[in-house]
Parts: sequence; C-alpha cells; structure tokens
Amino acid sequence: MRQLLNGNEAAAHAARLARVEVLASYPITPAAPVMEKITQFIAEGSLKCNFVRVESDHSALAAALGATMAGARSFLITNSQGLAYMSEVLYHVSGLRQPVVMAVVNRALAAPHSRFPEHGDVVAQEACGWVQLFCENNQEVLDSLLQAFRLGEDERVRLPVMVNYEGYIQSHTRETVDLPEQEAVANFLPLVRRPVLDVNNPLAVNTVTGPELYIDYKYQQDAALQRAGEVLQEVSTAYAGLTGRDWGGPVTGYRLEDAAIVLVAMGSLVSTARIAVDALRAVGEKAGLLKVRLFRPFPAAAVRESLRAAEAVVALDKNIVYGAGGALARELRAGLYGLATMPVYSYILGLGGRDVGVEDLTSIYRQVREQLGAGTTPAPYQWYGL
Amino acid sequence: MAAKELPVVPSARPGTMAAGAAMERIREQRPVIDHQKCNLCRECLLYCPDAALAVDKGEVRVDWHFCKGCGICAVECPVRAITMVAEYAGNRGFIEK
Repeated sequence: MRQLLNGNEAAAHAARLARVEVLASYPITPAAPVMEKITQFIAEGSLKCNFVRVESDHSALAAALGATMAGARSFLITNSQGLAYMSEVLYHVSGLRQPVVMAVVNRALAAPHSRFPEHGDVVAQEACGWVQLFCENNQEVLDSLLQAFRLGEDERVRLPVMVNYEGYIQSHTRETVDLPEQEAVANFLPLVRRPVLDVNNPLAVNTVTGPELYIDYKYQQDAALQRAGEVLQEVSTAYAGLTGRDWGGPVTGYRLEDAAIVLVAMGSLVSTARIAVDALRAVGEKAGLLKVRLFRPFPAAAVRESLRAAEAVVALDKNIVYGAGGALARELRAGLYGLATMPVYSYILGLGGRDVGVEDLTSIYRQVREQLGAGTTPAPYQWYGL
Repeated sequence: MAAKELPVVPSARPGTMAAGAAMERIREQRPVIDHQKCNLCRECLLYCPDAALAVDKGEVRVDWHFCKGCGICAVECPVRAITMVAEYAGNRGFIEK
C-alpha cells in the first residue's frame, strides 16, 4: 500500500510492521515524532507494545537493553546529544550482543547548538560495535529498519543495529512509501525469542572479566560484526524477494562501468549525487557514484572491488573528525591502500544543515578533475562551501 | 591461534565475580584462620559482605569461589584469629591487623 510519509512516519510504520514489543525512548528533535506515531499505533490498537517512559536517553537504551535481554523485540529513536548521552550504554548493548534496533535521525552536535542534519553524531560512535546503516530516502528508511531486525537477530550476528537518516531532509519531508503487508513482513521477520534473563536459569550477566578472557570476548564481538556485512547481503536479497525492492548489500554502484572519477557518499547526499552524475554524464564526463549503505562494519573489500577501475575517488563527508578529516575519506584511503594509484579527494561539506545541491557536487567534480589533470596530490581534506 | 570457547553473551553462573577467571587472580590477599584461636563466635560470618564464610563441621571455613579478599573478617574478629596473607608475590600490599 502506497502512502505519502515522511522519514519519521516511515520509521514508525516499520516498528509497527516489525511488531516491536517494547519502545523505551526519550523525545529529541527531530526524531520525537517517531515515538508519537508509534504511541498512536499503540493507542488505536494496531500495535501491541509496551511504551516505557524514561527520564533520559541513557535510561532509554538501558531499558531497551533489559527488555531485549528478557527476550522482547525492542526499538528506540535518538540522535545528536541523545546519542552522545547514550554512548556508554551503546557499548553495553553491543558487548552483551543484544539485537536492539534504533533509528538515528542524524543531527549536528553542540556546540554551537544546532538542530540541523549532518552525520557527526553517528560518526562519533563509529567504534561502538553497532551495525550502522545509512538510508537515502524514506522508502529505504522503512525497508532498512525491517531488514535491521532480521540482521541483528540473525544467529550469526546477534548485534544491535542503528538505522541512520537525516533530520528534516528525510525526517520531515514526505515521499511516496510503499508499505508491505503485515503478513508478508511476519514471514520475513518471525519473532526471535532469545531471553538471557530467565528466573529459572539465573545468570550473572556482564561479569567483571579479567585479562584472561576480555580480549577473547572482544574478538568474538568483532568477528560477529564483520559477519553482519555478509549477512546483510542475504537479508537484502530475501527482502527483495518479498517486496521487489533491492537496496543492495553494503555498497551500490551507479554508472561505475567506465567511470573515471567516482563520488562516494552516504545518506541523503546519495540521491543528490546520482542527479549530479547524470548531469555530468550528459555533458560527456565519466562520472560515477558509489553509495555506502553500510558504514559499520566498513565494507572495505566491496569498496575496493567497486572502485578498482577508477582514476580518482571523491569522499563527500557530512561529518568532521576534528584533527583527522572526514570519516568516509579515512575509510576509503585505508580500504584502497595498495591499489597502484588511487587518489582520494576528501571534502567536508553540509555540516549543521548547510545545503548541498547538485551544482555543488558538479563543482566539486570539476575541481577534482582539474587537480587530477594537474597531478596535484590531494590535500588530507578540504572544507567546501564556507 | 584459535579463539577460546565463550558464551555469546558475556555471563557466568550467579555469584561469580569474573567469568572464567580463577578467584586467586582477583584476590590480592586471602584470610587464613587460626582454628586454635577461633572461638566460633560467628562475628566474621555476619560481617562478610559476600557470605563467603560458614561454620562447617565445627570450624569456620571460607568458600574460595566467593571470597574477594577484602579483609573485613580479619579486622572484625574479636580474638584476632584471622590473618590476611598475600595471594601472590609482587602485589600492592595487604591489610595488617
């Protein structure tokens, strides 16, 4: 059934279709409407779910963790300051291998205070052990969230998943979204019961762990996160069989066949970049696009395979890791290391809601083409549009 | 090197402080009871925060799985029948009576 939904409404519908049993969440702009919509579903009886009122984002994730350990399917939302506040608990959830699913409606971090979109909030949590997916439109928000539950709950993975989409650009903009039927989703996403908290079989969870075992637990956790990249491909294929929509696995290429200069982006920028690539192709440029859907685990092998034939790569980062540059650029350089010559141009842009349009991306493309022609070594990173 | 077999969720049986770790590695010191001096008053049983002490067959005994070596029993013992001794060489000192 097709409906006109904004990203937040799409996320709420995903929670309803996934038959989420516990929603422990704390309101934050611009993610709060997801909660409002879910509580509306609960009130009108279209979703049987416990809404837990909590006093902070830190408590919200702690409650979601407890609910998941009791065997319930839990969901929550946050972003920006809330995500930063959750930081400690993020590591508990991944370390305890609990498949909590969270929608992160990306927004800039203070200071100065901002309510506008960028990826700085999630990039700050790049090491927390969660699967991190990015969506380019509202249909993908719905589809990725449904896939997130199956991915996180998969026996080979058993990890929490963040599904990222940008504040306002996606959260408050309506698009046509096709909602799958509840029955079809139930077949794709059966409820998985894996309770850790069991009164008949008491366990001491999260025990103090000494040097004898800590590193071994961490090895297991990292190996599971790496497996999530392979499982995502399977889950995407299964989902495509259900709905006909295939968002691909960790990365998707666009007009890459003979592309010389490839733009690489995550989130809403992907749609903009696709139009920019078409515009450049129309005037004879050999432009291409690589969409990075999965940021953690970073799909280095797939990226390397997709970009093997390119002459140069342009990382478009809506984040700044202070003193180090864009997160995507760092990953690309690491992943492409050793390929004969593969300059990676790194642009920091669009922070705190600064608009990035098609002309900005074509202009960046031309800058890169000139620098490439001149044989200039790319700067570690540069700021665009100041 | 093969990874160790561990539960997926870091956990252990109840009362265990450290999953898989021997308690000797956690304790820096352990109580040694002089049964000649001990008058079975049970003060140490009351004060032990981990209920690691019990009277068994007429003697106070320590459950080494639960004792974390805090030394409270030694401090509280009215007849000074408990001495804390270092678990292994090179530790950072222990409580003296």
